[in-house]
Amino acid sequence: MAKKQVPIIEGLFTWPSDRPQLLASKCKKCGAYFFPKVPYCGNPDCAKDKANMEVVPLSNTGTMYTFTIHTAQPALPFRMEPFTPYGVAMVDVAEGMRVLGMTTTTEGLKIGQQVQMTVGKLYEDADNEYITWMWKPVEK
Amino acid sequence: MKAMREVAIVGIGQHPWGQFPEKNMQEMGVECTVDALKDANMSWRDIQSAAYGAYMWIADRGGVPSLLMGTSIARMMGETGIPMVNCVNACASGQAILREAVLAVASGHADTAIAVAADKSAGGFFRPQLRDPSPSKFDRGAENDTDYIRFCMTGETNPAYWAMELRRRMYDVGTTDEVLAMAKHITSQGAVNNPYARYRKVFTIEEIKASKYIADPLRLFEICATSDGAAAVIVTTLDNAKKHNKKPLLVKAITIGTPTFGDPTIRLTFCSAYPRPGVLDLSESRNAINVIYKISGLQPADIDIIELPDNSSWHYLVYLECILGLKAGEADKMLMSGKVHPITGELPVCSGGGVAAQGEAVVAQGLSQVCQLVRQMRGEAGDGQVKKTKLVNGLAQTYGYAGNNAACILSKAW
Repeated sequence: MAKKQVPIIEGLFTWPSDRPQLLASKCKKCGAYFFPKVPYCGNPDCAKDKANMEVVPLSNTGTMYTFTIHTAQPALPFRMEPFTPYGVAMVDVAEGMRVLGMTTTTEGLKIGQQVQMTVGKLYEDADNEYITWMWKPVEK
Repeated sequence: MKAMREVAIVGIGQHPWGQFPEKNMQEMGVECTVDALKDANMSWRDIQSAAYGAYMWIADRGGVPSLLMGTSIARMMGETGIPMVNCVNACASGQAILREAVLAVASGHADTAIAVAADKSAGGFFRPQLRDPSPSKFDRGAENDTDYIRFCMTGETNPAYWAMELRRRMYDVGTTDEVLAMAKHITSQGAVNNPYARYRKVFTIEEIKASKYIADPLRLFEICATSDGAAAVIVTTLDNAKKHNKKPLLVKAITIGTPTFGDPTIRLTFCSAYPRPGVLDLSESRNAINVIYKISGLQPADIDIIELPDNSSWHYLVYLECILGLKAGEADKMLMSGKVHPITGELPVCSGGGVAAQGEAVVAQGLSQVCQLVRQMRGEAGDGQVKKTKLVNGLAQTYGYAGNNAACILSKAW
């Protein structure tokens, strides 16, 4: 039986899902977005009223703003087994946010390319695979 | 500082940067406190107010006494009952506590105050304080710790962030590998005769470009190491400073910078940004610089010597632009022209080799930069003295992650 896929930290993206999306907070008053979710709007000129904040899924496609390929292995609590060099990117999504995330590949990454959000496994135990959100380049 | 007393640096003390497993942070703090008192021709009982850097990595070492650094150093110095504050503003802590000491004197609350920071950060990438990779085991919400989320779920280390900013810079303004290597090569020439530097050798362009990628396009020799270090700075009224030291340095301006809402940067320890029109990146750094120019009434052209936070070659370029008000890309040309050579430049930058040659001792870094400015401006840097003789105004800026910044301008007062 396939192992269960479990987010390393719950609540950051819609899961389980065939089309996962990051979960952000949107301020109903000023329209600002925040990821991960926040209890109050971070706009200094906006009311600190929890009732203004709603949880919204972000567009699951975006544009690569920049990236790096990380070749050194970070220590715990980062855990990737087996370790391989990995990509980290900043991606612009339609809501006007710039969002961090690993990439599914280290090959062919380019500033300006279209990417799609997906999930990927970093490690597993006897029961579960532990996943995070990742950006996957889209062929065009 | 308007409507306040003028404040001057009257004494400095610095412990060399490096790895010192035989000493604890408090010992290092006492050593540089004693040196600073000697330099100021003062005794411990002359100090009426004190501000300390609170050590950040207590999950690794030091424990609560190193978080509450002031009273734990006072146990060694001897308790005198003075006000003490412990401050964490990430790597900008050193200048943040100097500001605290300066304000204590400027306001008249104290006549003489000290800022002390001691730090043992040596040992690889900075990482979250929660170390368990399985957050479900915690009885607290890891979902609220964005530092933990960015590290565990995006693999973003500090150099990864710097590398991403750098790649975008290369795309936008064409910064080259040659320029990145030159930033390290040129600053390393300042370290050779700086007894406080950790790496006192010249790194050649060839060996820098041959060093391995950590997070491409940044190579091992283009990012700073992590180090142990400690420093202390004593301030007093300008009038009193002149009685104690022949070469007091007026603190013309000192401030802490924090970000502006809408900054497009995804700062370290965070996972997103919400860029707003008209808000530039590095807003915390630009805010600090704008404030010290405004307070001092000075302009970039008035600055004779600079200590900038070259935590990586990317930092060197963007902070040169930030401090001098240059357009993106202009620092590359200035660097290659030799104008900012640490020793022979007409505008010496990172005269002691900078953070690249020291390695970062987080909370002490800002004080180290100030000590280096003071030695140069007094003409006491020995074989490492810059060739330029007109050193009236010096500027130091410290980068701290998560949107923490600090900057100051010192002026010759003799």
